[in-house]
Amino acid sequence: MKEQLDQIFSRHHGTRDALIPVLQDIQAEYGYLPPEAMEAAARFCRVAPVEVYGVSTFYAQFKFSPVGRNLVMVCQGTACHVMGGARVLEEVQSRLGIRPGQTTADGRFTLETVACIGACALAPAMVVNKDTFGRVKPEKIMEMLNGSGS
Amino acid sequence: MPRLVIDDLQIEVPEGTKVIEAAERLGIMIPRFCYHKALGSAGACRMCAVKFIHGPFKGLQMSCMIDAQDGMVVSTTDEEAVAFRRQVIEWLMMNHPHDCPVCDEGGQCLLQDETVSGGHGLRRYPGRKRTYHDQYLGEFIAHEMNRCIHCYRCSRFYQDFAGYRDLGPMQIANRVYFGRFRDGPLESPFAGNLVDICPTGVYTDRSSRYKARRWDLQRVPFLCIHCSLGCSTVASARYREVVRIEARFNESVNGHFICDRGRFAYPYANLADRPRRARVDGEDASLAEAVRAASGRLDQISMNAGPDAVALVASDRCSLETLAVLKRISREKGWRHPAVFPRPDLEHKTRRAVSRLDRRLAVSMRELESADFILAVGIDPVHEAPMLALALRQAFREDAGIVVMDPRPVSAPFDFDHVAIAPAEIGGCLSRITEALSALQADSAAQGKETRRPEAAGPLRADLDSRIAGIVERLRGSRNPVIVCGTDIVRDSTPDRAADLARLLLQLKARPCLFFVLPGPNSFGAVLLAESPGRSFSDVVQDIEQGKVKALLVVESDPFKNFPDRERLERALDRLDLLAAMDYLPTSVVGRAHIVLPTCTVFECGGSFINQEGRVQRVEPVHEGGIPVHQVSGGGHPPRVFSHEVPGGEIEAAWRTALEVAGYTNARDNLSILKIMAEEHPGFARCRDIPTSRSFRVLPDAGDRPPVCEETGDRAAPEAADTLEVVLVDRFFGTEELSGYSPVIQNADSEPLVFLHVRDAEPLGIAHSDWISIALEGGGLEVRAGVSAQMAEGVLVIPRHRLLEWQKLGPVPAQIPFGRISRAGKE
Ligand code: SF4
Ligand code: SF4
Ligand code: FES
Ligand code: FES
Repeated sequence: MKEQLDQIFSRHHGTRDALIPVLQDIQAEYGYLPPEAMEAAARFCRVAPVEVYGVSTFYAQFKFSPVGRNLVMVCQGTACHVMGGARVLEEVQSRLGIRPGQTTADGRFTLETVACIGACALAPAMVVNKDTFGRVKPEKIMEMLNGSGS
Repeated sequence: MPRLVIDDLQIEVPEGTKVIEAAERLGIMIPRFCYHKALGSAGACRMCAVKFIHGPFKGLQMSCMIDAQDGMVVSTTDEEAVAFRRQVIEWLMMNHPHDCPVCDEGGQCLLQDETVSGGHGLRRYPGRKRTYHDQYLGEFIAHEMNRCIHCYRCSRFYQDFAGYRDLGPMQIANRVYFGRFRDGPLESPFAGNLVDICPTGVYTDRSSRYKARRWDLQRVPFLCIHCSLGCSTVASARYREVVRIEARFNESVNGHFICDRGRFAYPYANLADRPRRARVDGEDASLAEAVRAASGRLDQISMNAGPDAVALVASDRCSLETLAVLKRISREKGWRHPAVFPRPDLEHKTRRAVSRLDRRLAVSMRELESADFILAVGIDPVHEAPMLALALRQAFREDAGIVVMDPRPVSAPFDFDHVAIAPAEIGGCLSRITEALSALQADSAAQGKETRRPEAAGPLRADLDSRIAGIVERLRGSRNPVIVCGTDIVRDSTPDRAADLARLLLQLKARPCLFFVLPGPNSFGAVLLAESPGRSFSDVVQDIEQGKVKALLVVESDPFKNFPDRERLERALDRLDLLAAMDYLPTSVVGRAHIVLPTCTVFECGGSFINQEGRVQRVEPVHEGGIPVHQVSGGGHPPRVFSHEVPGGEIEAAWRTALEVAGYTNARDNLSILKIMAEEHPGFARCRDIPTSRSFRVLPDAGDRPPVCEETGDRAAPEAADTLEVVLVDRFFGTEELSGYSPVIQNADSEPLVFLHVRDAEPLGIAHSDWISIALEGGGLEVRAGVSAQMAEGVLVIPRHRLLEWQKLGPVPAQIPFGRISRAGKE
C-alpha cells in the first residue's frame, strides 16, 4: 500500500487544500478509503485523522468499505415510493442480508439506494450494474440479481 | 451601550453582548445547549429561540446569535417561542436512548432539565432510533454517543478552545459523530473538561462512574493544589470518600476549565494504604498517645542536645495554617525553622520571584489572555502549569505572538517561536533584551537609567543575536506584553532578570506584565513565612550528617521524593535519634518513621494556599473524613461494622496535631488559627474578614523599591564539550507528588522519556525511543530516550518521574560525560 500511496502523494502538494483531490485519488485506486490510507493522507496533508474522516464522510462520493463486484441500486424516489419501492428494498435487503451502504460478506453485491433514476414511468425501478429493471416484482428479484450479477 | 427590553424588564449591556447573555443578567435563563460563555455561539441547537417584537429583528430568532441592540423588545415567553422550543426539544430527544437511570449525568443534566422545562413529555415518533458505536477514549472519560444532541460544544472546546485535534465531528446529517478516528486515549491534557461541558451524558468521568447522583454528594467549592496556579474546583464526597472533582468558574484564575491532573488526582485521598492509625516504634497507638510520645521525645532531645537539634521539615503542599503553626512552634520552642524547599536554589528563586512581585506588576492568568506578546522563559507550560498553556492559547487565538525560551522540547497547543537554549543562557538573554530595550528608550532617559544595572550577561552565541533583536522589536511594538518566568530549571538570578525586564516594560507600557510560575501550590506562602535566608532540606541533611540535628519532625513532606541522592538521605535518616512523620500519604518517610502521626488531607480539613500571583485562597473541608465506608465494610453495603466512633475519624489537620506536639492544648479552634496566621504574617490578617468564597492578593503596593542587585553566583554554562548538563524537570503526570498517588492517573500515565538533542544523540548511536543506560553516581539508570531537534544542545532532560530512579543522580547540579551514556541492549 505504501508504494501506491507514495505515488498518489507525489502528484499533490502536502497541504490542507489538497485533501479532497488526494482522497479522490485514493478512492480511484482502491475503490474506497481504507483507514490506513486516510491516516497516511492526514499525515501528508498535515491535518488530524479526525478531520480527514470528517471531511470524507461529509461528501457522498466517498466510500468506506470495499465495493462489491456488483452494484445494486434500488430507487426510493417519489414515484417508486408510491409504487412500492420500499417493498422492493426490503426484499433485496433480506435476500442479500445487508442494508444500504453495505456489501455482502462474499464481496459479490453492494446495495445502495437512490432518489430517482429518471425511470418514473417504470416505477418501482432498480439497477443492477448497467441493467435497469422496471415494474420490479419482489418475487422476481433473485432472478434479476443472479442474471445480472457475476 | 445598547438598551433593550426583555420580558418587560429593561437592561443596558455592553456592545456585542448576545441577547441570551443580556437575559441571563436579568436572571432570565433562556434554554440553551450549544451556547457557552467560554465557547461563544454556534447556533446549532435551536433551543434558545425567542420572539423579537420590536427593533431591527422581527419574529422568532436564536437569542445566542443576535447582538443586543438599542430598542429591541424581546419576549422569551411568547406562545410561538415556547411552542418552537417544545418542538426543538422533542426532536432532540427523538434519538435519545432514554437511559437516564443508568447515566451518570442524570441529576445534573442540561438535557433532562430542558426536556422538562421545554414541556416535552410524550414521545410521538414511533420510528427506529439511530444508534452509534461508542469509543474507548482512555482511562478518564467514558463515551456514550447515543446520548448526543449535536451541540458541538465538545469539538469547539477540544479543537478551537484547547487546540487539540484528535477529537472532532465526523459524518453528516443525522449521523454526525463526535469522537476520534480510532479508539484510543484522548491526547489533550484538558480532555476532562468534556465531562463538564457536554450538556448530556456523552462524556462521563470514569473515575466517579456509578458512584453517586449529584444530590447525594457533599459538594464544596474547592481549590486545586496540584501546581502553583491554584485553579478553582468543586470537590464532591460521599460515604467518606472523595468521588469527583469538577471545574469551577473563577474569573481571575482558571476561567471555566481545569486540567486533567487537577481533575483526576483526588483518589490519593482515598487510598487504602493511607496512614490512618498513629504509630509509635512500629506499634499502633492512639493519636493522643503518639502525640504524647512525640512531644516527650522532642522535649528530651531539646533538653539534652539543645533545641537546635530538632529540625522541622515541611513542603509546599502544606497549607498556610500548617506553615504558620510550624513557624510559631519552632520559634517558641527554639527548634529549627521548617525547611520547606528540597533544594537551596528553589528556595532562593522562589524568594526572589515573590519579593519582586507587586500589585502593579502581577498579571493574573485571565489578564494574560489579553496580552499581545508573551515571552515565556524557563517554562514548559503544559507540564509545569497546565492551565497556563490554555491561557496562552487564548492569547494566541487573539493573534498574540509567543516566544518560549527553554531548553526542553516544548510542545504546546499554540504556535510559538522556540528559542532552545541551555538554562545558563536564559538569564543572559533576558539581560540583553532589557539592555537593548532601555537603550532604545534612551531618549526618555529619565526612566531609562533607573532600571539599568551592571549586567553580568555572559558571552552569548552569535546566532542568538538576531533572535534577541527580533524579541526586542516585538516587545517594543506590542501594547500589552507579558513576561512569564519559571522557577524550576532556570539559574538563580533569572527571576530577578525577568522582573527587571518587566519593570522596564511597566514603565514603557503602563500595564502589569509579570507572571511567575512557582514550584508548588503553596511556595508563595512558604517564602512569606520563611526566615531569611531560609534553609532548604539539603542544609538539614548536612546538619544531620555533622551530628547537629538529632530529631526530625517531617510534616506533609517526602524528602525521598525530592532529594536527589537517595543513599545519602537514607544514611542521614538512620543517624537520627528521632524521626517523626506527619502525613496523609503513605510515603517512604512514613514507612521508616519512629513515630507516625496521620493527618487530614485538604478535603477533610480545608486550608489556605497562596498561588503564584500572590492570591490567598481558602477552602472549607468537603467532608469530615474517616476511612471510606466501602473500605470499612469490605466493599459491602451497608456497612456491617458498628462503633461509637467514625473509623479513622480521630485524625486531625496537621496544624492541630503540630500544636499539640508542641504542647499547646488551648489554641485549637479555628478562630485562633486565624489569629496565629495573622500574627505570623500581617498580610494574612485579612483571612479573618474575607469569606472563603473570595480570594485576595498579598502583594505590596507599587513596589518602587530599587531593583535588587543581589550578587548571585550563577553557575556558568558547562565548558566541557564532552558532558551534558542534567536538567531535572516536571511532567504533566508522574512528577507532581499528590497526583502520583492517584491510581487513575497511574493507569493513564505513559512511560517517562529522557530527552537529548539529535546532535548529541547521533554520535552515541541513539535514536528516538531507544533504550539507553546512564551511569549515575548511585548506579545505572535504564530508560527510553527521546531524541529531538527542537531542544537545546548539551542538555540531558530527565523527568523527576516516580517510575524513574532519578534519585541515583547524586549531587546536583550534575554534568554527565557522554561516555556514561550508551545504548542499552533492551528492546
Ligand atoms: S457529545 Fe455532548 S458536547 Fe459533543 S455535540 Fe454531543 S451533546 Fe454536544
Ligand atoms: S493547572 Fe494546576 S492548579 Fe490548575 S487544575 Fe491543573 S494542576 Fe490544578
Ligand atoms: S422515482 Fe424511481 S425512477 Fe423516478
Ligand atoms: S443556544 Fe442558541 S442555537 Fe443553541
